Amino acid sequence: MKPTQQSHGDMEQMVIGVDVGSTTVKVVVLNPATDKILWKQSGRHYAKQADKALELLSHMHRQLALSGDETVRIFITGSGGSAIAATLGAKFIQEVNAVTMAVEKNHPDVNSVIELGGQDAKIIHFRTNPKTGERQVMAFMNDKCASGTGVVIDKCLVKVGMSLEEASQLSFDDSRIHPVAAKCGIFAETDIISLVKAGIPSDEIMCSLANAIVQQNLTALTHGYTLEHKVLLLGGPNTYFPFLQQCWQQRIPEVWQERGYDVPADVPVEDLIHTPADSQYYAAIGAAIYGLKEPTHVGVYKGLDGLKKFAAGSRSAKLGILAGPPLVHSQEELEAFRRQYAVPAFQPASLQPGHTVRAVIGIDGGSTSSKAVLVDDGQRVLFKAYELSKGNPLQDTKDLLGQIHSYISSQDATVDIVGLGVTGYAGDILDKSLCADVNVVETIAHLQSSVHYFGEVDVICDIGGQDIKIMFMKNGEIRNFRLSNQCSAGNGMLLQTMASEFNIPIEEYADVAFRAKLSPVYSYGCGVFLDADRVTFQKEGFSKEELLAGLAMVLPKNIWQYVAQIPRLAALGNRFVLQGGTQHNLAAVKAQVDYIKERVPDAKVYVHPHTGEAGAIGAAFEAIKVVRDEGKSTFIGLDNALQLTYSTRSDETTRCNFCANHCRRTFIDIHTPAGGSSRYISGFNCEKGTVDNTDDVRQINRNRKERKRRYPNLVEYETHRMFQHFYEPQPLPQVTDNANTATSGISRGLFRTRRQKDAAASFRSSSNADRAYRQGLRIGIPRALNIWATAPFWRTYLETLGIQPGNIVFSDYTSDTLWLEGGKYGSIDPCFPAKVASAHVYNLLFKWHSRRPLNYILFPCITHLDSPIQDALDMTSCAVVAGTPNVVKAAFRKERDVFAEKNVGYLDAVVNFADPLMLKRQLFDALAPVLRVTEDESEFAVDEALTAMETFSADMQARGKAILEQAERDGKLAILMIGRPYHDDPFLHLDILEEFQMLGYPILSMSSIPKDESWLNSFFQEDIQAGRVTSALSIGDVWTESFSANSVLKVWSAKFAARHPNVAVIDLSSFKCGHDAPSYGIVDAIVSTANIPYLPLHDIDANKSAGSLQLRVRTFAHTLREYEESLQPKNFVAGWTEDLQYQAEV
Amino acid sequence: MPAQKFNAVNQSNSETASSADVRNKFQEAWNRPQEAGNRTQWFEPYAEGFSEHQRQETTVLFGGLTTAQDLLLEGALKGLGYRVQHLAEADLDSFRIGKEFGNRGQCNPAYFTAGNLIKYLEQLHQSSGVPRDEIVKRYVFLTIDACGPCRYGAYITEYRKALRDAGFPGFRVVVMHKQGVNVTMENPGIALNAKFIVRILRAVLVGDALNAMGYRIRAYETEQGATDRALARCKEVLYDAFSEGKSVLLAARRCRKIFAGVKVDRSQVKPKVSVIGEFWATTTEGDGNYHIQRFLEQEGAEVEAQPVAIWVLYTIWTSHDRYIHYSRVHRDAQPGAGADRTDAGNSSAGRVRAARVWGKVRARAQSFVLNRLFSAAEWAVHAGFQTYAKALGLNDYQLPDMDEMAQVAHEFYNSQLRGGEGHMEVAKVILNTTKKKSTMTLSVKPFGCMPSSAVSDGIQSLVVDRFPDALFLPIETTGDGIVNVHSRVQMILHKAKQRAYKEYETALAHTGLDKDAVEKLRSHPRLQDPLRYPKHQVACTAANEIYGLKHPLSS
Repeated sequence: MKPTQQSHGDMEQMVIGVDVGSTTVKVVVLNPATDKILWKQSGRHYAKQADKALELLSHMHRQLALSGDETVRIFITGSGGSAIAATLGAKFIQEVNAVTMAVEKNHPDVNSVIELGGQDAKIIHFRTNPKTGERQVMAFMNDKCASGTGVVIDKCLVKVGMSLEEASQLSFDDSRIHPVAAKCGIFAETDIISLVKAGIPSDEIMCSLANAIVQQNLTALTHGYTLEHKVLLLGGPNTYFPFLQQCWQQRIPEVWQERGYDVPADVPVEDLIHTPADSQYYAAIGAAIYGLKEPTHVGVYKGLDGLKKFAAGSRSAKLGILAGPPLVHSQEELEAFRRQYAVPAFQPASLQPGHTVRAVIGIDGGSTSSKAVLVDDGQRVLFKAYELSKGNPLQDTKDLLGQIHSYISSQDATVDIVGLGVTGYAGDILDKSLCADVNVVETIAHLQSSVHYFGEVDVICDIGGQDIKIMFMKNGEIRNFRLSNQCSAGNGMLLQTMASEFNIPIEEYADVAFRAKLSPVYSYGCGVFLDADRVTFQKEGFSKEELLAGLAMVLPKNIWQYVAQIPRLAALGNRFVLQGGTQHNLAAVKAQVDYIKERVPDAKVYVHPHTGEAGAIGAAFEAIKVVRDEGKSTFIGLDNALQLTYSTRSDETTRCNFCANHCRRTFIDIHTPAGGSSRYISGFNCEKGTVDNTDDVRQINRNRKERKRRYPNLVEYETHRMFQHFYEPQPLPQVTDNANTATSGISRGLFRTRRQKDAAASFRSSSNADRAYRQGLRIGIPRALNIWATAPFWRTYLETLGIQPGNIVFSDYTSDTLWLEGGKYGSIDPCFPAKVASAHVYNLLFKWHSRRPLNYILFPCITHLDSPIQDALDMTSCAVVAGTPNVVKAAFRKERDVFAEKNVGYLDAVVNFADPLMLKRQLFDALAPVLRVTEDESEFAVDEALTAMETFSADMQARGKAILEQAERDGKLAILMIGRPYHDDPFLHLDILEEFQMLGYPILSMSSIPKDESWLNSFFQEDIQAGRVTSALSIGDVWTESFSANSVLKVWSAKFAARHPNVAVIDLSSFKCGHDAPSYGIVDAIVSTANIPYLPLHDIDANKSAGSLQLRVRTFAHTLREYEESLQPKNFVAGWTEDLQYQAEV
Repeated sequence: MPAQKFNAVNQSNSETASSADVRNKFQEAWNRPQEAGNRTQWFEPYAEGFSEHQRQETTVLFGGLTTAQDLLLEGALKGLGYRVQHLAEADLDSFRIGKEFGNRGQCNPAYFTAGNLIKYLEQLHQSSGVPRDEIVKRYVFLTIDACGPCRYGAYITEYRKALRDAGFPGFRVVVMHKQGVNVTMENPGIALNAKFIVRILRAVLVGDALNAMGYRIRAYETEQGATDRALARCKEVLYDAFSEGKSVLLAARRCRKIFAGVKVDRSQVKPKVSVIGEFWATTTEGDGNYHIQRFLEQEGAEVEAQPVAIWVLYTIWTSHDRYIHYSRVHRDAQPGAGADRTDAGNSSAGRVRAARVWGKVRARAQSFVLNRLFSAAEWAVHAGFQTYAKALGLNDYQLPDMDEMAQVAHEFYNSQLRGGEGHMEVAKVILNTTKKKSTMTLSVKPFGCMPSSAVSDGIQSLVVDRFPDALFLPIETTGDGIVNVHSRVQMILHKAKQRAYKEYETALAHTGLDKDAVEKLRSHPRLQDPLRYPKHQVACTAANEIYGLKHPLSS
């Protein structure tokens, strides 16, 4: 194109704006004089950014009939923009700046912008600088974990089986919202799968997702700022999905109201928060407008030749340097591999005409697909059926059974269905609706199937769409297992969605990937991060073949390094079985085989002959066994199953009113042709939600009470006890001197030395007026972070000083409601326990303070904790835990000072519990002016408070000791929860402990393990004798450089469990926990070496993914049962010999 | 190459047979799995120390500061008689190796560092054919003491785990504690004496000054690559001085002449970007922070990197602060310090009183001396830095006043909270804004950095609210997603550029210079002098030049 000679901004004939995003390319052509759009077009690029840009620009050339003599300028934006900018002569503009420019130009009355892109979410606040009067821009983009973007919505649409068109017709309805974690795309997908498998209707799930995305963005991406009106909604998702727009239009005004932000009453909300025309083009438009401000020699359009050359494959030579090896190096290698590992296509069995075959059906209702098998009583697979999930497990199952029915009909033989086994995410609903003979936990189903085909193997590795399950075997039994957690979930699905991103059917994945001559090296780990890498590699010019090859090659790293955490694979053995639907993909198998053989040269790697149906086959085998043992089947029969009808209901009538949660449940009423009916209930948080009438609830309550009585849960006890008034403090000593002055009994001498007169005579008290003042004080304390380690201290300290017990107010226990109401003040995205702290302070300010005014909120920065454990280098708190009170203070003082508005003082003193003298001084310095106490009084109160802590500790240890001793006597198991103090909060430990309590295991907390060395010595005797430790309370033999009080206690507790014959361990750790990370390997080594039952629940967050949690609970329950049977007690009886001495009733 | 030298070393062990036997027996006993009932127990494998006897045949590996400092430290240690080798800049390969053998959920400096060490050892084993047990015997990794509030406290454990799992069990990680090296050993391999500390500190300070010179000049060089060439030459000169025990001051003066040869044009209007954040993420210059310093320069910014000396000063300040609080409490709580309470029953009241008085006096004197020592240490860092900075030609460069930092941050971030950079990030943003020290502040930290991402950044939102002029951007590094990170930086840098131009135009308006005068400026000798840096008035260097040139041009 002709270089422009004129001064900029007025004479060009046209200006092009190009936005090369992570999934689409958008091009607009503007008239520079009027800013009117002359031409626009967009399209998905399927990883071919340059090709798509070329295609669109070529269209533009044709449709605008460009001759080449025009004066054209071009500006480009988006994550892939910089790579092709030079080829077009374009100048690159960062996308937020481009969007800002477009909004400032076209909407001067807009104060907030929310733009959701394919991978990025952006929020822009326009504010006026009070000093200068300038209009300033504050722009925030999502951090690496944040979800709420187009890609996640796309993936979830696939999972719920809804088309884009259907989604675009959907309206937002907040009356049926289910919990979905939108913090991270992977977390959200995990929750969506659980909802799908629980039979929740697709529209409810999508509305729940929209709600979660909006809440997440309001919580984190706004950085705590109020979205001032008018608000503009931009980007693809906001444009194409009205239900998302409506959700914003509902939730933002709620925040306005909550924060007292005034908006014009006469303007409808649709005008205050709206999506403008061409909203998906705003970045491209902005780039063009921005460019016009540049000097005229900048951004002169060079035509398409350069881009054509680039797109034709003149990829930068540096790719070769950056890239890793290909999946296959030669055709010969590939053929040899195929010969050895390709599973021959399955042929349904031809049954002998006239014969009757007895068979069972096995169904695996998996995360992304459902599978069914027909297996004869000789364990031969006759037929297999497969259905990609269409969003309703009952309908999927009916379709599967329809396939089986067609198969049977096509045979001249008679097939007598004698049983049904089910497994997988949808196992419960199928069990209930079809009256299955057995509902097998997935891990066990996979194990059965694998052992049948390969005998004794060492490792079974099952990669499904969502979960990775790795089972370590010994003598045909599960020795140990690892399951993907929230952060490592969705690997199989990732391969599938990445293929569809590139418009490649999953069946062709391997063929495409094998063609790559090199591959980009992904950083393994979280799926969101992998996708971020993909964007980078696309920009660098890697082809789809290479991107897919690289992704397959990162899979084994995710499995063995991220999920299994096994650096020395050879230690596990040498017989590996690969199964699960993902092994259909030979690229994934090749990567796995190469990885294993590189590390275990003599490895024998087997691919399951029915790789996708291994779970269903296992369920069928188990059904054969059960039916044989029982002599009959409960299955309703194939014909009945095929004619089964169901209706789904979720409204006010299905709401559970049996506890304070008021869960909105979904009832699925199932009717069989024979007139039988059953009801499956989903969408509840506790056992009470499983029933629908009061009598059943009463029965449940009776059963629960009985179980709780028999099997105490000391974590639950601790959770309540620590906040109660259980210690009667000594009254402050009598006033003996200067009764009416507030001066201290401690005076200063020469060099400001501390002079204390005779204690009995010189205790200085505060004045009567001050004491009266304290009696009227009301102080709130958030039930968060290290308050969980020190609550008795704070209550007793304040009570001793004369604060009325009723005036010491702890915030509510964490709940969904508490989090949703108060979670929007955060400006960062740390671990959930830290993030929820602001919601607790909100709860105090907006709930408790409204009921009766609080004078202060006390949320100390606790830097150190006291600990009985020895040989640690320090006893620090985690930096996040210690610093969060300061962060919360900042959050509530930004924009407006909420504390000042409510006239509530905020006390966030730094205190050190490891040094009582320092603690005394710090508390006096910080609180004396507030509480009007003398130093004597404050120190006295600290001593009382520390005594209360000791009392509490002694009580816990006595209860723990009783349980441990009885467990030993009876040869039973108790479960020890190791975690951080705040994991006592039921919301933070996902209520999982109660599940095990109901299964008949008492629960111990770390504080309930006796710390009495004389008692402990019997367990640590050999360590002490060998000279590895000098005390039973030492961790010097397992961790020589430890600093964290709580990590040290966790590690010591694991050591104790490893030495006590009757203790199993549940290890809780929150997502992003920095202090736990270093201890993972140590705890794992301790429990693995001792070979005790161990369930790590790491990376837990606000969401509770029922399906994945159930899988863990049921697998662990199986392990516990087997382990308990192996115990050889001296006086073995069937159960606990007596009710446990201490009841956990509060 | 260390591997080649390795083959030539005398492999005789200077330890006596008996001590070796005792050690071996203990090691064997320690490592033998304990079996109680059916249980086998795990213990952290026994790690041998690094003794003085082994020094001549052991190569000390280290790394993790800037490339200049790693090189100069190697020179300094070599000059002290150690066999020493610094590791190359950690790259993505190092990161992947670190992740493979490290715990999940660690922060990425731990992965980069552990992976970088394993990568080096593997190369030694595979390329040079040195057997693994020989590597374990003849090499040690030197690192410094950690602290507790964040994951940093577990780095040493993490290194050991990664090394063990990567096939180097027993590889020694030697830790420089505040109390010394291998405090339990009688004759440790690293002699942590005054000479050692002075040499190390000198290398760090010279490295800081060298880096600062590089950033000041490179942004304005007229011939691309000239600054890097000058830096490379200076490193050689200084390395020789350190390793051969020559005068470092004289070497620095030679470097000044080398820098003087680089042509610059300081009339170029560029925003000044202060790079702060987590220590390792801001110090590294490679994949660990997406080459952020170079990226900023390519995007048209002048970088102000954080000298390592600030961290040294912070360490002194926190130790001093902790001591002040600790001594105040404990001294006052024990008025009879030095006189055991049990003495009271056996001694006369007069003797007890006397002992108490003596205890107080002694405690006061001790406290007085220690307080002066802390102040002296702080002064020594400032003075040492300025000495070498001036010799190199780095003028008008001040290390921050730590008390001022604590003071300005305290309202937002309690300065008694520890972990990472503590309150410093908040303080730097406030000071950069109020004192116009930089146009923009970029805070770089590893993903999920506990003190920085989860505390500082939360508090910064209030700071930015209170100081609306602050241009602040926090970014987290994970080793992947470079495009997104660079995009975020470009987003704010765009505003920083606008602001820099505004400062420049204000300076022109203030001085009354017209277009002709501006053109003249380009050829003004002061703007082409690489060793001269304009007096600070505002953040933009070109604007400062205008303010500084007002009088000469007017005249």
